[in-house]
This record gives sequence, structure tokens and C-alpha cells, in this order.
Amino acid sequence: MNKTDLAGAPGARPPVVRPEDSGLQSAGTALWRYLGLMALAALPLLLLAKDPYWLNIIAFTYLMGGLASAWNIIGGFGGQFSLGHGVFFGIGAYVTAIATARYGLSPWLVMVPAALLASLVAMLISWPTFRLKGPFFAIATMAFNEVAFVLANHFDSFTGGPRGIMIPFKAGFANMIFRERWQYAVLMFVFVALVVGITVCLRRSRLGYYLLAVREDEDAARASGINVLSVKLQGMALSAFLTAIGGTLFTMYLRFIDPPSLFTLQDVGVKFALLSLIGGVGTIAGPLLGAALIVPFENFLRAELADALPGMNLAILGLLMVLAALFMKRGVVGAVEDLVRKIRSRRGGR
Amino acid sequence: MDQLLNVLVIGLLLGGVYGLVSVGLNLIFGTVRIVNFAQGELVMFGMYGGYYAYNILGLSPYLSVFLVAPAVGLLGVLIQRLVIQPLHNESNMQIFATFGLLMMFQNIMLAVTRGEARSVGGDFGAQVIELGDIKVGTVRLLTFVITTAITIALHFWLTRTMVGKSVRAVTQDKRAARAMGINVEKTFLMTFGIGSALAGLAGVMLTPIYSITPGVGGNFILAAFAVVVLGGLGSVWGAYLGGLIVGVVEAFAGYYIDPALRHAIWFLIFLAVLIIRPAGLLGQVGAEEVGFREQN
Repeated sequence: MNKTDLAGAPGARPPVVRPEDSGLQSAGTALWRYLGLMALAALPLLLLAKDPYWLNIIAFTYLMGGLASAWNIIGGFGGQFSLGHGVFFGIGAYVTAIATARYGLSPWLVMVPAALLASLVAMLISWPTFRLKGPFFAIATMAFNEVAFVLANHFDSFTGGPRGIMIPFKAGFANMIFRERWQYAVLMFVFVALVVGITVCLRRSRLGYYLLAVREDEDAARASGINVLSVKLQGMALSAFLTAIGGTLFTMYLRFIDPPSLFTLQDVGVKFALLSLIGGVGTIAGPLLGAALIVPFENFLRAELADALPGMNLAILGLLMVLAALFMKRGVVGAVEDLVRKIRSRRGGR
Repeated sequence: MDQLLNVLVIGLLLGGVYGLVSVGLNLIFGTVRIVNFAQGELVMFGMYGGYYAYNILGLSPYLSVFLVAPAVGLLGVLIQRLVIQPLHNESNMQIFATFGLLMMFQNIMLAVTRGEARSVGGDFGAQVIELGDIKVGTVRLLTFVITTAITIALHFWLTRTMVGKSVRAVTQDKRAARAMGINVEKTFLMTFGIGSALAGLAGVMLTPIYSITPGVGGNFILAAFAVVVLGGLGSVWGAYLGGLIVGVVEAFAGYYIDPALRHAIWFLIFLAVLIIRPAGLLGQVGAEEVGFREQN
């Protein structure tokens, strides 16, 4: 093994370029694949539009799918394994909650400035931490998350502290508060479609290729004239921007936020990474697929186990993480690709 | 002046606690280059071990440690063999897997204990020695002494014994170590076991001072990482010194600024170190990259 796959690669992906990566996908193919994926993603919403229990799960699945896709931009494509995305999520959530609950502003107006703020913060905290590689980077970003937790608890005149912030129910499109669950589900679907769409474009863009190059071999990327730090910062800023938008939607859906709901590692910062990894890190469909599998499963576990054995649902999720790391390193997408290749080679193709 | 001295002593003793928790992590992180997020949970297991030994067997923590620490060490060996070793070239997957272990352990204990906090009652934690105006908790003082003793022992083990030297050799260059006839896998297994046993030991030692909850490991893990990074990866004395510095800074920040913000102080230390000297105070320059570049 050479050193290339050690520093930045998100684990399992072999550094060799696989045959299907080598050819450029045409814009038309990419568009059709994207539309197909979104149609598939929209299916449960259309089928279960009348069931409020399922609508809740579906809305959350879309939201988490979008957030995991946003994480995937820097964590998957860029290979920078951030565990601190809770910070950006929290910025989006708090700015929205404070602006709407205290100043009566519309979340639509606040959303983009909040996301820009998150981007700015992301660049500021990433600038020193991007000097770190692999696990050091992960630990440092985790530290940022914990600090955000402490600060949110501490500055209670601003954030409401442990009591949190409640947003009064005033239904209306301008307030981003809806009477019907399905309206929220549609909103979340638009979010995930937007994030995945951006990911598709990014994957075909110059920045996307730069990010992949940085992930595979930072030194080689630098030698080829790529400004590594700048590429990482751009990837992080975009990822943080989208994560903060997710924070806004989360806030408006629950209409209540407090520090644990935004900064608990296993529910937020690590969850984004978990969903991407289960689905297939560094792929476009992976994070969405991970969310589609894990979010409903988690809901099921919580409903079945939480009363009898508190915490058992999280323990099972933890076990799943260990097993996925050991046996399904390229996630569901990777496993499916392997299967397809095996079938093809058996048929004597390729 | 007395106040200042008092805060300093509190800080140093707290530093002893951090040093104790970090010493095992430093051995694992610094030597085997494995980020074990579940290290705090091993401390937690040590605490529960101490608690149950006290309540069921009636053993004092200072006796049960000889039972609990090896047991936690054995668990560490199992973790290394079953989870870490198959992932030896993939640091991101190690993070992922050990975080999964963290969630598993923490929540299994939550299910077992139903989330009630436990503590080893009474006489241990409360005893105080008075030196003039300065009050020193006996247990904390003892913890400090134990931390110092372990640091010295570890130092001699790593520098004077053949086994310790082989551990250092493996850290520096796996391929060359293998060529010298060192069994790299066995060394890793042993180091991980010892590092885990030290976490278990730390846990038992802390039962008289801290109340025991399934989430208690989370209080230690970030502090321990800060200590290890500050002191210098793989440097035994670095962990000791780092622990003391973090403890003192936390005590002063807690006293003069705001107790709620003391955790944010870890991060400031952390960040400062990462920007100014990523190798840590006593770490070899470049040590933070060694081992991630040439794993084989």
C-alpha cells in the first residue's frame, strides 16, 4: 500500500480509479439519473401522504438525507472527516429561532444570511484545523462541536440556555409554519432535492474534481497546482451553508430548539457522517440512501425499545456503525456496485 | 494569595485526574496511532467495576483495582483484535467504529442501570488533609500520587525494558521493526491492552470522587484528547505535564471567569496547540504525521 490512502481517504475507497469513474458522464445522463433518484425519493411521500406518523418519519428522512448529503461534500468528496457539523447546524437553527421568535422576522429572510454566517464561521474555524490530518482533524472538529454546546448553554440571554427557544405557532407560508404534516414533508423534499442537485453539479465541476484530488492525495494535488487549502475551505463553506439551511428547516419544523437537540454528537454531528457512511461515502445517492435506511429504522427501534430498555436503540445503532465500518466499508452503494460487477463478470462481460 | 494557592492546588490535583485518564489514551493514540473514542467508556467501565466490587464484594477501590483493571485491559485486547486490527490502515473507519463502540457501551450501561447515577458512598471521598489554610482531598492527593507513579513506571518501561523498546520501535517504523524480528501485531495488541487497563485503573481510582453515570466517559474523553495533543503524542511526560496544565488552567478559568465556561478552555488550549505547535509540548516535531504516512 502506498501512502495515498492514509491521510485523507474516507476509509475504504481504494485509491485506484474504477472503470466506471474513468469515463466522463454526459450532462444528460447525470440529469436523468438525478431525476430518477428524486422520483424514487418522492415515492414514499406520494404513497403515504395521508398517514401523519409516516409523514413525520418521511420529513425527517428527507431532512437528514439533505444534511448527510451536505456533509458528504466535504466529508465524502473532500475526504475531510468533520464531526463538527453540529456547529453549522446550530448556527442555522439559533439564528432562525432568535430572529423569528424575538424579532418576528420571516424564516425565509433569515435563512440565507444565517447560512452565510455559518459559512463564514466554517472558514474561520477550518482555516487552522485543516492543517490537521485524518483523526486529528476529526477530533478538533469534535472539540468545536462541544465548545458550541457549552457556549449555547452559557450565553442564555442570547440562546435561552438550557431552557431553549420556543417559536410560537403562527401558521402561514411566510412564517414557514404549516398546519399539515405533508406540507413540511414537501418542504424537506425540496431541501433534499436542492442539496443533491448541488452535489450532482459539484461532482461535475472543477471544484468537485479538485476535492476528489485532495482526498486521494494531497501532495500530488498540490504538485499539480491545486491550492489545497483554498479547495478545502470552499468545500467546507458550501457544506456548512447547506447544513445551516437544514438547521433552519429543523427549527421551523420542531418549533423548539435547545442545546442538546442541536449539538448532541450522536444525533447531529456524527449522525451526518453515519448516514453517509452507511449509504456510501463520496457517492451522490449514498447519503440519501443511508438516511432512508437508518431514520425509519431508528424510529422503529425507539418505538419498540425505548420504554423497555432505555438507550438500547442507540446501542443497536452503535453496533451497526461498528459492523458497517468492518464489513461494508463502501456503504450500501458500494455493496450494490460490487454485486453488479460480480454479476456482469459472471456473464462474461467486461 | 491563599486563594490563589488554593486554586492552584485544586488545579494540580485535577490535573492529576486528567493525567491519569490520559495516560492510557496517550499510549494507544501515541504509539499505535489509533483514535479510540471509546477510551472514555473504558474509564466508565472501570468506575462501574469499582462500584460493583465495592457494593457486592465489599472491596475497597484500592483493592478491586487489581481485579477491574486487568478485566478492562482484556476488553481492550478484544476490541483491538476484533475491531481495530481489521481496520489498521483506515483511520477514518477507526474513528467511525470506535465511535460506534462508544455509543454501544454507553447505552448498554444506560439500559443496565436505567440511567441512575451511582456513587461509592461515604468515607473515602470526604476525607481532607489540611495544610495551613489549604485543604486537600485525600483521594485526590492519592490520585495525584498514583498518576505520578504510573508515569514514572511507564517511562522506565518504555525506555529501559526490551518490550517497551519494541513498542517504541513499532511506533517509529513498523517495517524496520518487523525486520528486526518484532511481532508488530502482538505489540499492538499488548499496547492496546495496557492502555485499556490504565483506563480501567483510572476509572476505579475515580469512583470515590465522581458520581458514576453511563455518560461519564464523555466528560473525560475530550479532556484526555486535549491533554494528549497538548503534551505531545506518545510522550509519557507530555501527558503528565499536559494533564497538569489543563487542570490548572481549568481551575483558574473556573474560579476567575465562570465555572460553566471551563470546558471551553480545553478547546482554547487545543486550538492554540494545533496552530502553534501541532507536535505538542514534549512531542517530537513531526510526530503527528508519523505513523499516518507509513502504515504498513
